[in-house]
Amino acid sequence: MKIKVSDVLRHVLLAFLSVIWIVPIVWLLVTSFSAYTGMNTSSFFPEEWSIINYKNLLFGADSVAQFPRWFWNTFVIACFNCVISTAFVLMVAYATSCMRFKGRKALMNVAVIINLFPGVLAMIAVYFILRSLNLTNSHIGLILVYSASSGLGYLVAKGFLDTVPVALREAAYLDGASEAKVFFKVVMPMSKPIIVYTVISSFLVPWMDFVYAKMMLNSGIASEWTVAIGLYNMLERSLINTYFTQFCAGGVLVSIPISILFIIMQKFYVEGVTGGAVKG
Amino acid sequence: MEKSKGKAALFFGAVGGFFVSFAEAVAKGDLFVKLSLIWMGAGYFRRKQYIKSLLITIFEAFVILFSVTVGIAYVPKFSTLGTVQRASVFNPVTMKNEINDFDNSFMILLFSVITFVIWFVFILVYISNVKNAYKLQKMAENGEHINTFLEDVNSYKNEKFYVTLLTLPVLGVVVFTIIPLLILILVAFTNYDQQHMPPTQLFTWTGFTNFVSLFSSGGLTITFGYSFVRILAWTLIWAVFATFTTYIGGILMSLLINNKRTKIKKVWRTIFMVTIAVPQFVSLLLVRNFFADGGIVNAFCSAVGLTDFLRDIGLISTSYIPFLSSPGWAHVMIIIINIWVGVPYQMLIATGVLMNLPEDQVESARIDGASKFQIFRHITMPYVLFVTGPALVTDFVKNINNFNVIYLLTQDVYTTTNQALANSQAKETDLLVTWLFRLTQEYYNYKMAAVIGIIVFVLCSAFTLIAFNRMIKGNREEEYQ
Repeated sequence: MKIKVSDVLRHVLLAFLSVIWIVPIVWLLVTSFSAYTGMNTSSFFPEEWSIINYKNLLFGADSVAQFPRWFWNTFVIACFNCVISTAFVLMVAYATSCMRFKGRKALMNVAVIINLFPGVLAMIAVYFILRSLNLTNSHIGLILVYSASSGLGYLVAKGFLDTVPVALREAAYLDGASEAKVFFKVVMPMSKPIIVYTVISSFLVPWMDFVYAKMMLNSGIASEWTVAIGLYNMLERSLINTYFTQFCAGGVLVSIPISILFIIMQKFYVEGVTGGAVKG
Repeated sequence: MEKSKGKAALFFGAVGGFFVSFAEAVAKGDLFVKLSLIWMGAGYFRRKQYIKSLLITIFEAFVILFSVTVGIAYVPKFSTLGTVQRASVFNPVTMKNEINDFDNSFMILLFSVITFVIWFVFILVYISNVKNAYKLQKMAENGEHINTFLEDVNSYKNEKFYVTLLTLPVLGVVVFTIIPLLILILVAFTNYDQQHMPPTQLFTWTGFTNFVSLFSSGGLTITFGYSFVRILAWTLIWAVFATFTTYIGGILMSLLINNKRTKIKKVWRTIFMVTIAVPQFVSLLLVRNFFADGGIVNAFCSAVGLTDFLRDIGLISTSYIPFLSSPGWAHVMIIIINIWVGVPYQMLIATGVLMNLPEDQVESARIDGASKFQIFRHITMPYVLFVTGPALVTDFVKNINNFNVIYLLTQDVYTTTNQALANSQAKETDLLVTWLFRLTQEYYNYKMAAVIGIIVFVLCSAFTLIAFNRMIKGNREEEYQ
């Protein structure tokens, strides 16, 4: 087979782009193994390699860095959010996709309009409401913030449920199944891909989110933070020189599980986004 | 236009019908229907639906109790938002200084809105309740079967299952999104800021003053009008660039990777995906330090002499390259870094779309002798645009509200030297949302934040409406089915 010039060029270009895209990530990885605590600006690779950052981060919690604690906090919040959000999203998706009732279109339009408001705006007022209930700086408050309005993100799941053949449901109705039974026994078992997608994406929210956590957990008590705020705090001007490499180590530790979940999820994401559009 | 008029008429017709049938029920109903105007459970009680009667009575009692306890305490003060300022008063009985019974403006606003929402729901339930009572009366007159409580419960698993499904999610949205939004919209018409912070201070209604100060550039010290124009311009420029660079970049990258003759496709795809799998607060904070004034890129640039070269041609005046700390540089860098973050995402989506590309069209075009570029221009591109069009619109709106990229890259790093911007707590690199966020978090200026929030909403909805109308006009669904 003859090698074309364009093929070679394409691969060179891809290799070049890959380098650009991967360099910061590699930097994160190698810096996390540096023995020096601050930011090393003189060379890309650390002069002295060590796993001291991981050791400090995991076993040497101090007043600034309490990574295991943050990880646990975020994990608990993520689990609760995952259960509530998944239930809400699937419930709304089924009701809007598989049932016909008065006000269905109006409800969907209202959802579109609400989504046009910047989420941060509502959160400012939510903060005050939660403060009057004494729920700020608590994980319950943060779970509520993440999950209470999650029903608004039903569109991808609805797009998927729209593709479940009507005939299947009709057959179940003829057999005398109730609507609830159809939901649990017919539609849900057929919707595994979208359930996986919803579960993972709602599990990832507290890990990826930064804004809401910063607004809600503002007491300055490190043991209550989530991973995002904790790591952000390590880069404060007064702390960055002692904690930069630990920040990198923390970043690597968080990224590993999240990347795995993300890569599983993205397949379903693409299906959801493109599938919904083609089927109108 | 015609269509929307029809829709509006339909809407008002439905609302009108709702009240007309209520009037009819009241006029033609028997004693118990009329009684249920006062005691909501009366109609059900008459038809032996005792449990339902009890439940609705409890609901009625709750609303009344709420109104006389919470409602009475706050709603009358809604028009002034409180008049009694917190003060320490000497009490002659206990011989001590005590805090007086002061008004808290925010609590008045909050509980008034909650009360209004509850009243609104109550009126809807109240009217439907009377209509139901009338319906039951007619059913009883016609000798029709009236459901027992168990049958009613069962209907929530069948034809009314949607009610069961939607109650909790809708409640969540009402409490955690709609009520907060209503409050914030109202705050835009008050003077709630650092000088008027409850509980120690009161705030009150000021009409459109805040809107005026956002749109006029008057005043020597407070310069919201000046900042608003600049930040709005940058928000729009950012949204356009961020959306289209990543969109086009994503398609090109996906074409590059999915080319038939590209080897090890999976490896390439995984490399690009790693960057988006890392949480943004890690990758963006990292990149920010990568490009810091004393960071590694600057050290490298000065080592190879790029810094000196740029200084010689007058692009920079400092001893380092101010990637993220001076106006022009930061704007360009933010867009470039956003390409780094966003292109892999779009690449994933474009890959999914391109896999569904109608092969037969491409094949027949090739047989007709179309060049590669022609195929791309006339078949691939229109198809991709059609499928991802709606996503493009939502991406644009998302970018207007793209908090993470801007905040994580510039917070604590970028300080403005423009005094006029600094007076209104803005920076050159701020988007409307980050400005809004900092106004509330660092300066407690809630009134202006609320006004900006409303502007963002108007901007997003105007854009969405125009874009979707265009798209619906050029409806070409059939072409690809």
